[in-house]
Amino acid sequence: MINRGELILEKKNVFLIVKDVISEVLPDVDSNGVKIEQNLKSLGANSIDRTEIVMLSMERLGIKLPLVSFGGVENIEEMVDVLVDNT
Amino acid sequence: MQLVGIEMLNIFGGSAYLDVDQLASHRGLDKTRFDNLLMKEKSVALPYEDPVSLGVNAAKPIIDALSDSEKDRIEMLITCTESSFDFGKSMSSYMHDYLGLNRNCRLFEIKSACYSGTTGLQVGINFVLSQVSPGAKALVIATDISRFLVAEGGGVLSEGWSFAEPSSGAGAAAMLVSDRPYIFQMDVGANGYYGFEVMDTCRPVADSEAGDSDLSLLSYLDCLQQSFSEYQKRVPDANYLESFSYLAFHTPFGGMIKGAHRTMMRKMLKAKADVIESDFEERVFPGLIYCQRVGNIMGATTALSLVSTIEHGEFYSPKRIGCFSYGSGCCSEFFSGVVTAESQEYLKQFNIADKLNQRYSLSMDEYDALIKESTTVRFGTRNVKLDTGFLEGARNSSDMPRLFLKEIKEYHRLYEWSQ
Repeated sequence: MINRGELILEKKNVFLIVKDVISEVLPDVDSNGVKIEQNLKSLGANSIDRTEIVMLSMERLGIKLPLVSFGGVENIEEMVDVLVDNT
Repeated sequence: MQLVGIEMLNIFGGSAYLDVDQLASHRGLDKTRFDNLLMKEKSVALPYEDPVSLGVNAAKPIIDALSDSEKDRIEMLITCTESSFDFGKSMSSYMHDYLGLNRNCRLFEIKSACYSGTTGLQVGINFVLSQVSPGAKALVIATDISRFLVAEGGGVLSEGWSFAEPSSGAGAAAMLVSDRPYIFQMDVGANGYYGFEVMDTCRPVADSEAGDSDLSLLSYLDCLQQSFSEYQKRVPDANYLESFSYLAFHTPFGGMIKGAHRTMMRKMLKAKADVIESDFEERVFPGLIYCQRVGNIMGATTALSLVSTIEHGEFYSPKRIGCFSYGSGCCSEFFSGVVTAESQEYLKQFNIADKLNQRYSLSMDEYDALIKESTTVRFGTRNVKLDTGFLEGARNSSDMPRLFLKEIKEYHRLYEWSQ
């Protein structure tokens, strides 16, 4: 059982990893300026890029989850939440 | 082992096409990274083209190449589609008539989104394998169109769906399945199938579509991995890299396949980016060439990719092709078969590239007029006479005789040959 403090830390760490992946998939994006409320589309990611970001993030975190678990995800924070819930 | 597979295979990619880049600009789509989607052209159904006329035009050259006695051994005609205009009557009944087939023949239709063509193929394969009627053949016709009127309103299901318009095409694939697999010898029992309920893309109303393209892409990738894993269970030595000289994928658009292949290479083989890129060019790209010209023809797309692979690959020695089919909703299958130099030569009789080259190039104004004109044949149309003078240049774009819709009379569709 993790407490609220640990959860916030976990979310922050996952977001750092996701930002790292975003800069890898979208080399033109300065990941330091990426906000968790943003959606990937606004960063210029097409559907292939978005899927790639999900998959690479899972790989980095060692998470094995059906990709459809990310269906309906609207922004980076919601994606991070799915990852945190399954870490 | 009983031989079985595709004896003859032909594609009909319609009479007219549109430049997709032009369409994307016209619609004001965000073209950032658009080139990565690897789309070029899409075939567009004319108002007097429907899934029956497209299907007959794909099958007719096959029927013409058969002797009367061979033709009479077609004992099953399966239409595979998500574009039918009748909930009850099978379009195979029309096709059976216009192709002049033996009446001792099973006529039926399969619906399973873009998986339908593979479903029909597998039904045909198992009919031949069963040997309940030795020497019998099955004619499988996958045929789909997209009369583009996106389901309006709504949230997730239509958001981002605008990219479906540039990717959706119109066309048909006809496959003659028999114990003489001249084109594609099926690996019997080497099938990995995988399906589950997901609401990704669908046709919940007449003449329109809805979808969540991101969810569909995610589901496609899940299915590719899972169906290949199941294939490996049945073919224990199968290796994604070494077992298949080529890969033919159901191709909604080229960029999606590039992404799917990259995922598989990374997951299955931990391959690096440069290896993945060159492998894509060598084993996957030959199958995308026709898909980039016709667009997504749904149930017929896996066959389109297979034909493209056979025509653009090198077959000095027999080679195995791995095929993947996915239909939204969803169900999927990874299967394989063997193609030879003779297969490639035999396929040439259908002049598929020439026929694609003959298609009429639509301007944007003509395309917009065509969409408007197509409302005359909306789902449920009871009576209408088609305007044969509409886009006459497209109607006369080919030197081959083609079937066109002439009239709908009390819901009954009447067709005519162009020559």
